[in-house]
Amino acid sequence: MKVLLIIPAYNEALNIEKTIQDITTNTNYDYLVINDCSKDNTKEICEKNQFPYLSLPINFGLASGIQLGMKYAYQKNYDIVIQFDGDGQHQAKYIQNLVDEIEKKNCDIAIGSRFVTKKKPFSLRMLGNTLISFCIKMTTGVTIRDTTSGMRAYDKIAIEEFVKNSNSTPEPDTIVYFMKKGMQVKEVQVEMSEREFGESYFNVWKSIEYMFNMIFSILFIQIFTKKRKENKKCQ
Amino acid sequence: MSVTLRIILIVCSLISFILVVRKIKQTKLKVTDCIIWILGSILLIFMSIFSNVVVWISEKLGFAAPVNFVFFMMIVFLLVEAFHHNMKISLLNEKIKNLNHYIALKEKEEKK
Repeated sequence: MKVLLIIPAYNEALNIEKTIQDITTNTNYDYLVINDCSKDNTKEICEKNQFPYLSLPINFGLASGIQLGMKYAYQKNYDIVIQFDGDGQHQAKYIQNLVDEIEKKNCDIAIGSRFVTKKKPFSLRMLGNTLISFCIKMTTGVTIRDTTSGMRAYDKIAIEEFVKNSNSTPEPDTIVYFMKKGMQVKEVQVEMSEREFGESYFNVWKSIEYMFNMIFSILFIQIFTKKRKENKKCQ
Repeated sequence: MSVTLRIILIVCSLISFILVVRKIKQTKLKVTDCIIWILGSILLIFMSIFSNVVVWISEKLGFAAPVNFVFFMMIVFLLVEAFHHNMKISLLNEKIKNLNHYIALKEKEEKK
């Protein structure tokens, strides 16, 4: 199966080389850096090291970056797309586990989760995670422990949905939507490290806004989307 | 309706009318996008000239005072406009995003 790693990067000049090195030493899969109009020299670093990259002329956010990656994967006929953060938080050695899960046809979307076998620590940061988890349980009946994990693998059905539906974002509400469309979601235990350089996009207010948006979206908007009974895979 | 309110309404609608026409002349507004404002200001003038019609309608609909009906109409008009703009912004956003993607993909193609 053809696998593509999408690495969305916004101002990740300090982390991107290390991330790519991690990927190339631990896997043989194709990867693609998506430079979302970084203000630093992320683009020049990609150019210098000859990383395959796409560079957006206007900064448009994470969702747009992932959608672009999906478009590229769809055009080049990739079977699996893995979303992989460029900030060094994700570890490439766990990619194989995600790919295996999809190749074995266990699921359409594999989420790299921190809390499958390990217990979720109790902190304010995890409260939002738990809240979203609760909302997903309520609307779909499926337990997803690490909802905000940014390390996910999507199969061809999900890629196609991403390309065709511009409301698809790499966020938990889209996962709920995909589940209602009949896709199977599985969690795979991974470990994540703290980011070394650069600043996270999320501060306290952004996080609260994010939580509110997600919960609202999951509870009120996704409920109105029609549930598809049959699983596409069985056809 | 009091005379003062009628004068205020007429002045407001005249100002908005002149503003819209001026902006069209300066080509800062497209004619098709601002017809709604011209219609709105014409409606305001009508409401202030034929105020007995407004009084009659507001009484029939059970408004406490005709002025409430005038404000109600304005709020409805503004809400519809706001929603319309919201829709337009979403659409434009989508178009820019697709253009953005297209440029990025094209750039990669050409580099090969």
